[in-house]
Amino acid sequence: MKYIIIGEAGTGKSCLLHQFTHNAFKEHSQHTIGVEFSSRTVKLGEKRIKLQLWDTAGQERFRSVTRSYYRGAAGAILVYDITSRASFLNLSRWLADARALGSPQLVTVLVGNKSDREDDREVEWAEASRWAAENDVHFLEASSLTGDNVEAPFLLCARSILLAIESGALDPEKAGSGVSYGDRALRRVNSSSRLSFGSLSGGRRKGAVKLHLPGGSKCC
Amino acid sequence: MLPSPISRVNSSASQQPNPLSIRLYKVLAANFDDDATKAAVQTLAELYGPPGHGASKAKGKQVQRDSGGDHEELDEEDGDDKANGTVGTTRDGDKTAVSSVIETIPGEIAAKARRGLRRDVENKLAESSRRFLAAFSEVDKQLDTLQEHVGAMRTRCDEAQSQLRETNDSCRSLLDRAGSLREQRQEVSTRQSIVTAFLERFTLTSEEIEAIVSREVPVNKRFFKAMDKAERIRDDCRVLMAGEDGPTKAGVDIITKTSGYLEQAYEKIFRWCSFEFRQMGRDSSVDVHPSLREAVRRLRQRSELLTEALTTLGQTRQSTLLSSFTTALTRGGPSGLPRPIELHAHDPLRYIGDMLAWVHQAIAAEREFLEGLFGVRAEEDGRMVGAVRQFTQSEEEEWMSELMDVAVGGLCTPLKTRVQQTIRSQESSITSYKITNLLQFYMLTMQRTIGEKAALSRVLQDTTDFAYSVFYEAIGVQGRSLSAVTLDTDDTSLTPPLVILDHAQVLREILLVYESSLGDDIAFYNKNRTTERNQEQDARRREAAAEGCHSILDKMVDPAVEMCIVASETKQRLVPNWDREVFVVNVMTYLQSVLEPFAFTAEKQGFIQSLVEGRMMQLIEDHYTNVIADTGLGEIVEAWKSRKANEPLSHLPAASGTRLQAALHSFSLWLTGNTIDHPPRLAQLLVQSLATRVHRAALARLVHTYRWICDEVRKPENKYEAASTLLGSERPFGQVHLLWQIFGIDEESQESKEQEKLTF
Repeated sequence: MKYIIIGEAGTGKSCLLHQFTHNAFKEHSQHTIGVEFSSRTVKLGEKRIKLQLWDTAGQERFRSVTRSYYRGAAGAILVYDITSRASFLNLSRWLADARALGSPQLVTVLVGNKSDREDDREVEWAEASRWAAENDVHFLEASSLTGDNVEAPFLLCARSILLAIESGALDPEKAGSGVSYGDRALRRVNSSSRLSFGSLSGGRRKGAVKLHLPGGSKCC
Repeated sequence: MLPSPISRVNSSASQQPNPLSIRLYKVLAANFDDDATKAAVQTLAELYGPPGHGASKAKGKQVQRDSGGDHEELDEEDGDDKANGTVGTTRDGDKTAVSSVIETIPGEIAAKARRGLRRDVENKLAESSRRFLAAFSEVDKQLDTLQEHVGAMRTRCDEAQSQLRETNDSCRSLLDRAGSLREQRQEVSTRQSIVTAFLERFTLTSEEIEAIVSREVPVNKRFFKAMDKAERIRDDCRVLMAGEDGPTKAGVDIITKTSGYLEQAYEKIFRWCSFEFRQMGRDSSVDVHPSLREAVRRLRQRSELLTEALTTLGQTRQSTLLSSFTTALTRGGPSGLPRPIELHAHDPLRYIGDMLAWVHQAIAAEREFLEGLFGVRAEEDGRMVGAVRQFTQSEEEEWMSELMDVAVGGLCTPLKTRVQQTIRSQESSITSYKITNLLQFYMLTMQRTIGEKAALSRVLQDTTDFAYSVFYEAIGVQGRSLSAVTLDTDDTSLTPPLVILDHAQVLREILLVYESSLGDDIAFYNKNRTTERNQEQDARRREAAAEGCHSILDKMVDPAVEMCIVASETKQRLVPNWDREVFVVNVMTYLQSVLEPFAFTAEKQGFIQSLVEGRMMQLIEDHYTNVIADTGLGEIVEAWKSRKANEPLSHLPAASGTRLQAALHSFSLWLTGNTIDHPPRLAQLLVQSLATRVHRAALARLVHTYRWICDEVRKPENKYEAASTLLGSERPFGQVHLLWQIFGIDEESQESKEQEKLTF
């Protein structure tokens, strides 16, 4: 699955990704140049899913470059900084970009990063949650410093994409969907629509404590 | 009485040497006092007792004797009985007396006994002897039979023994044979176990052979296991072959056979790989199955096969990538969303950016795939695509870059064509510079990701070079077009002309783009050396930054400057009263202001500054000349300058006392005018600070001139009458410091500052 990570400069996209792929906080992180790539395999139920993660630069001057990477992404992780109101206010622009340039089935997860800095909080959870509900995206808060909740957005995104495949909204067979099967055997199984996520409901319930899921399968 | 026993004894003795009678004689000859004798007598008495009784007794005795044959004792008992019977009557020790007593009491019995004893005894003896004989004959007969039997038995036994011996003899050989056989068997079994072990070690089981040879068995763990074994056998065989007696036949056989199987195994891997590659090549991105990874790893032993298989892979990947690229270009995503890239062909930056981003992503996926295939785990140090890759000179890396080249190679041509077309069709040099920068960005990214030698990097390098050449061409043309521009002679304004403004605008935009691209390099740089940012590095970076835009500035600024100078000269000739100097300074300072925000343009700014400085000197000089003319002091100064040596100034007609008076008066008037604060000419200078500077420099010189005049006037050799009065009649009354105050210039600083300039 192809993911793109977007959001204002300095919201901690690269750190979030680094925490996700390396389980460690990235100290003295520089601004990302253009785009960077990394990957990680996650397990969802019994499925092994390889995530190709495209970390984009948040700086304005790279906007022209990063805009080209929305194409073909199956999921977008939209990151803002809970200690920076400005990064939250710009979300609409980022989301509009993602909706305009990405695929129509693009699954977006909003992540309020730096949740460890509760004292400096400028964006309330409820407010962000409301915004997410209004814009029909998933939402949760995470901390790339402590690693708290870092995996959740990626897994949540993956689940939503799998659900979209299951419901037929997304066809991995087609080019540019951002999803492809690793194993041809799996493809045969899936094409006979025997795609079941036995662990999905259980996993969701289990994860609900951490996920701050606003409830419902489509986020409020 | 006595003779009877003796006679009896004698008779019996004389008759025959019967052992019994001998015994009897002995008894008789002995003293009968003993118990035995008494018993014998008693027995006799019983024997010859009352008939009924005696007979029965005798009969019993007879029977006893027949069976026992030991009648001596019986006789003795008889005697004893007899003796006992007589004991009660006579206690006489004399035998004869006893006998006589017995005889006298029973009489009849004794007589009978005397009569019959010998015969009876003999009879009995005979009888018993006969019975003995009969019995013994019977015994003898039996013994004979027994002997017969024993004889027969012995014969049998002998036979048996001989047979046994024979058997024994024959058995011994058998046993020997059995023993040797046993030994042989043991030997054989040992050998067998050795052979089994050998075979196990040096041959493949049928299952393993099947795994290797059969097409039915897929390439899997079982197959690899068999292959491992085959390889081990071959290696072990080398040891066998290296024995002292040269290669053994078995070794040769085994090695031939095993090598055959191994070859087949490699063939099989190759076929399988080729098949898999062909299959896999069609998918956009796939995970690599461990078996396939293992297969590729093994196939490295047969590089020619691997090359062939990988060539297949490369070609398949190439066509796959090309077709998906074409799809992305012309058809877009599923159901046309996201839109095809070519839809944005009108927006060159987006068009090229989208294409390059697509290629970038494809390369990342490809790289992942290849890393999976070769089992090379991407470095765990958090390197991402943007970061500089440390190229290791491993075989895998070579393969990977080669495959990558092949796979991406197909994209190069369509990409290059499209990009070049786009570049060519650009009219705006700004856009083409932006494109160039974009290309360069990707070129750097790619070079850092897939190496400078990779095909795509080279193509990007080419296109970037091409874009640069197009861009330089564009700005060159622009610059040349500037030189053809002539200034509008009707335009009296001294501000920079429109062409320059346009040009400067373009320059500004280009520099902005350059600055942002510079950010990349700096950031890249920082990524590598996050900690130290010492001054040396800063300086080097600045230097590099300045170097990068050098040619752009040359191509952009120089023509503008040149145009400004040349065109202004032409205009000056046509319009003599047009203030060329101010115009040039204005244009220069404008250009400078454009360059100013960009630190890396310092060199160019310096160049312009030097031009400006020259013009400024000129301006100051001009301005001073004007000012001094305005003040009226000019004539005097001129006159004094042209005087002959040692001639008193007051004697000069132009510097006579009255003329000096008039000049000082007009100076005083000038001081009160407002041109002193706002010289009209300098107001035309766009940069106010420059105007002020020029004006102040001129004023400072004016002060010096005034001071010089005062000094000269006061000098006695110049022979001015009432010099002090002359100077004191008009402001500033010969007081130089007052003049400084009027001009509002800090005396000291100005003096030192302007000192050098006055000496020119």
